[in-house]
Amino acid sequence: MFQNIQVQKEIIANIRTKPWPIRRKLKVLKQAREIVLKYEGRLTRTRGYQAAGADLLKKISRVLYNIVVLFIPWEMRIKKIESHFGSGVASYFIFLRWLFGINIVLTIMTGAFIVLPELLAGPPFGTTRSKTIPKDHLASAQDLDTIWSLGGYLQYSVLFYGYYGNVRKIGSAGYRLPLAYFMVGMAVFAYSFITLLRKMAKNSRMSLSGASDENYTFCWRVFCAWDYLIGNPEAAESKGAAIVNSIRVSISCIQQTQINLSLAVLISLRILANILVLLSLTGSIYIIYFVVDRSQKLEQEKPELTLWEKNEVSVVVSLITMIAPSAFELVAQLEMYHPRTSLRFQLARVLVLYLGNLYSLIIALLDKVNSMSSAVRNLSDSTSYLATISQSTEDNLSTIIPDITERQNSTLTRTLLEMQSLLNQTVLYEYNTRSQQDPCWETYVGQEMLKLSIIDMIFTVASILLIDFIRGLVVRYLSDCCCWDLESNFPEYGEFKIAENVLHLIYNQGMIWMGAFFSPCLPAFNVLKLVGLMYLRSWAVLTCNVPHQQVFRASRSNNFYLTMLLFMLFLCMLPTIFAIVRYRPSQYCGPFSGQEKIYDIISETIANDFPLWFSKVMSYVTSPVVVLPALLLLFMLIYYLQSIARSLKVTNSQLRLQLQTVSYSKLNIIMMYFTHLQAPEGGDKKPEQESDITSMESSARSTSPPRRNGSITNFESPVRHGNSIRTITQSASRPDIPRAAGATQSPTHTYPCHMLHSLISRHSGYLGSTSGSCRSKSYHNMAYKPCTRYAENSDPLFRKTLRPMHTEPAVITAQSYVGHRAHSTRYVIINEHEARKKLMRSNTRIPRHYRLADEPTEIVELYPRNVKCYIPRPPHRSHQPHLSEEEEEEDPKSSTRRGSFRQSKRPRPLSDLHQTAGFYIGDTINSQLSMEQGLYSDEEEGDQEEDWVNDPQTNIRGPESAHRYGEPYVKPKTKHKVEPSLTESDSASLASSSDQQNSSTDQYIQVIHNKKKYLKSNAKLTKTKSKSSVKLNVSGTNDLVCSNV
Amino acid sequence: MGNKQTIFTDEQLDAYQVRDSILTFFLHCSLHGRYHELAPHLVPMDYTNDPDVKIPLALIVNMPELKENPFRNRIVESFSEDGQGNLSFNDFVDMFSVLSEMAPRELKAIFAFKIYDFNVDNYICKEDLEKTLNKLTKEELTPEEVNLVCEKAIEEADLDGDNKLSFADFENMISRAPDFLSTFHIRI
Repeated sequence: MFQNIQVQKEIIANIRTKPWPIRRKLKVLKQAREIVLKYEGRLTRTRGYQAAGADLLKKISRVLYNIVVLFIPWEMRIKKIESHFGSGVASYFIFLRWLFGINIVLTIMTGAFIVLPELLAGPPFGTTRSKTIPKDHLASAQDLDTIWSLGGYLQYSVLFYGYYGNVRKIGSAGYRLPLAYFMVGMAVFAYSFITLLRKMAKNSRMSLSGASDENYTFCWRVFCAWDYLIGNPEAAESKGAAIVNSIRVSISCIQQTQINLSLAVLISLRILANILVLLSLTGSIYIIYFVVDRSQKLEQEKPELTLWEKNEVSVVVSLITMIAPSAFELVAQLEMYHPRTSLRFQLARVLVLYLGNLYSLIIALLDKVNSMSSAVRNLSDSTSYLATISQSTEDNLSTIIPDITERQNSTLTRTLLEMQSLLNQTVLYEYNTRSQQDPCWETYVGQEMLKLSIIDMIFTVASILLIDFIRGLVVRYLSDCCCWDLESNFPEYGEFKIAENVLHLIYNQGMIWMGAFFSPCLPAFNVLKLVGLMYLRSWAVLTCNVPHQQVFRASRSNNFYLTMLLFMLFLCMLPTIFAIVRYRPSQYCGPFSGQEKIYDIISETIANDFPLWFSKVMSYVTSPVVVLPALLLLFMLIYYLQSIARSLKVTNSQLRLQLQTVSYSKLNIIMMYFTHLQAPEGGDKKPEQESDITSMESSARSTSPPRRNGSITNFESPVRHGNSIRTITQSASRPDIPRAAGATQSPTHTYPCHMLHSLISRHSGYLGSTSGSCRSKSYHNMAYKPCTRYAENSDPLFRKTLRPMHTEPAVITAQSYVGHRAHSTRYVIINEHEARKKLMRSNTRIPRHYRLADEPTEIVELYPRNVKCYIPRPPHRSHQPHLSEEEEEEDPKSSTRRGSFRQSKRPRPLSDLHQTAGFYIGDTINSQLSMEQGLYSDEEEGDQEEDWVNDPQTNIRGPESAHRYGEPYVKPKTKHKVEPSLTESDSASLASSSDQQNSSTDQYIQVIHNKKKYLKSNAKLTKTKSKSSVKLNVSGTNDLVCSNV
Repeated sequence: MGNKQTIFTDEQLDAYQVRDSILTFFLHCSLHGRYHELAPHLVPMDYTNDPDVKIPLALIVNMPELKENPFRNRIVESFSEDGQGNLSFNDFVDMFSVLSEMAPRELKAIFAFKIYDFNVDNYICKEDLEKTLNKLTKEELTPEEVNLVCEKAIEEADLDGDNKLSFADFENMISRAPDFLSTFHIRI
């Protein structure tokens, strides 16, 4: 009972995966729910409460889910863009949103662990030296240009590294700020790495099937080319153009008729283009380096810098990042590659350019830092000297002299006294001027990065407004008064270049990663920037852009973007790590001031704040004795995993190959089978026609009438055929065994099953086609047999393994398109099926009444659709006579109600459900038997025909089912009248119900066979017989049946 | 929807809700709103007694979501119960639930096959492919090119050698397509 409810619930859960018309879905759903409602309460009270609770929970979770969806930022906006411009453009915005998410987390990390504690518990502004603005700067600290260049108040704020104090514990709680600063700085990278890798892994898992090397270029170009989301005429037009383009490209790839007029010219052009690109790359790197150098000199020379001089570096870098891609594009036109190749080249070049920019910038900055820190060293020495000189002792002086003479290049000294006085002056002077300047190189780097980011944002906004918006306006409104068509010729509308824009985002994120350690608020700034960018870009896209012609493939490019981002992250992490490891932290500012190296904070913490044993352990762990083996182990692990991956790949390809060869060899076998059949066909026509039911019921091998003629060759091939197919059905049915027992199958089975399924259906399709080529009716009929048999048996099973819900084979056969050739034959079987079920059900009439009482409306509704499905199929008609024959043979009385009968069998889903259920209740013995048989048939599936002959159970069942067979004649018509009062059916699991259906087929076969057996061929039964001989038996019995009929 | 309030029975709503976890009540109402908008004179707002209303194809293909789609007629036809393109509200909901993001791949494949099967013979044969291509490219390709592409496409995907694509072939091919899921959906 509980199982039944579970099954019904399963139906409810999975109903939407079914390709039925919605009316049927609703009907099935309603009944399933009714059953659930009715019986759930009956089980136990607690279970009822449980169910109610689960229901409530589900509702709440639904509501919550809806709310969550509501709060996904920009969901509607992105959807709108998606529906206008297709998924390619939307992928840019999704990527942007994803980056936004990362930056939010980074912001929270830095904000919660660094900025807030410093603001709350740290010494307030103006109390320490690193937090006060030097006096001579105080006057200009509020000037706009100072603020603009991030000097003044901004420089001495939480924005930058320099502001943070180096007190080990701050506040009453003793928050270790320096340690937190270091840890967060590292965590930013760690988090970014982890999220990136996880996302990539997820993406690659999702595109697993796409990663296969099977190539359906043209098919995909045709069937997957159109983006159904496109709803904008312009986008549709450009998409159409892109499709034409891509098709032409792949045609030209196929034809390999590249008429290169002058290969030499082309090659030289390409070389030239590459040289140009290289030149511009080196030029840009040189310019950046030069600019940084110049700004450094300017700073040293001039006390006051103009606005331009202050922002020179970032403006130049932003200009280069803006202009160079367009230049590359121009250059790429020289090369005359395929658009796709040129796009790839373009992307690679732009990425290199961005990286080069960032790297040259950071190297130049670090260079500057180098010189700065050497200056600082001077300074610190001289200040320490100052301290000592206040004592003014002779020994001190004597020790200091060489130092000073070295460094100060002094004109100072002849005599000691002279020197002393002079030194006093110079040192004091230096102390007053330069140490007040507080050369905090970390702050400087952070400033530069933030400045770069700001300028970049401004340039982006400007380029969107100028290049896209103004251009769009001009094109839109001036095209009338211009002599050429502005919209299609020169200026056109701005294209939305997905790939380049994504690259720009990546570059931007790289900047953030590079500077985050030195400027903890950089992620927060980036969040704002991304928000702004999101709105601006989406607006620009919707108003004045057309999508790029070379549309990037959305799903593939996702991982492509991420790979580039990962690359960027790694490369941006390097300079930061390098700076942390290589340079000494500034002496008077920042959380690490006074330390020799930044990472000393860790060892210091371990030494001071942890118990002794921990530091001991740490010292062991960090000793080379442990680290080297650990590294080795890691390498070994990586190697091992990689080799496993490689071997899996090989296995994969081998399996695929095997699958292909299997399918082809099977085709060959079937071909052989038919060629063999063709010869004796003429003589067998008539008996074949007569015997079609029984022969159709049994498998291909058992049907072959030629065997009756005693020709061994004819016998041979069908057996082989049967074997080969049987292996498939068996393996397919295996995962289904646990299902029949009410358990769920392991998901690992689904893929092979699916494959097999497609194989089989393909198979049957093939059979259909071959038979189609042969006109003769009987042959046609025969050709269908194998596929009917196997499609009938295997199809529902496959379906079930694929989706646990697919329990009604009739529905599947009626609706699904799997193996359409086989379809019509399956139809025949279903028909019989139904008949048989009726026969059997006559024992347990209750459910059927229900069904029929329930059904008429449905029939009326569904019938047209089914007609649509069925009528166009030519085989259908050819089968009609057989149908009638069968029915007449089977059930002469019922032939009168064949019409209604046939109607009712098509829209059968509900009926199945109920009748099987009722079957289960109503006569337990039978149903149990049939259940067993269901299981049994599942296990055997393919080779039942051999085995049941030997099986005692079936032998027992033989007469019984024969009895059932006889029964329906009793009351063919009352079924319409009986009340649906007993309708409640607590069916066994639906799986088993479908099994029952299967088994009913089998039973039927058995009925006949067993009858025959009992009558005539009992003697043939021996358990020790070899398979083939058993098959012979089977065929023998079949033949008997045939003749009997 | 303003003051126009669609009236469903609770049961109907319930059924719809459970059936399709994405179609929330609101979305459903909006869906009906859209359905109503298409033919205000035909579709009543009161759905309590299941009126048998169908909107003809010509009206449906003018929806902005479908207007640009080269296969709009086929889409509507393959979702209509009568095959002529007249959609009842149920069909309408069905269409958008199959074309929604949440629909499983197999389901989408089934309907994609129906859509591309122009002559409804349950095979995608060369004519179907030609029609598909011509609609897709707005007949910009030359007949030779179309022919070539059709042949190539059939050659690629036809595994049983009958020179047309059965559903099995089609599903096999489409299940490997990287973009199919992302492109075969319509946002309403």
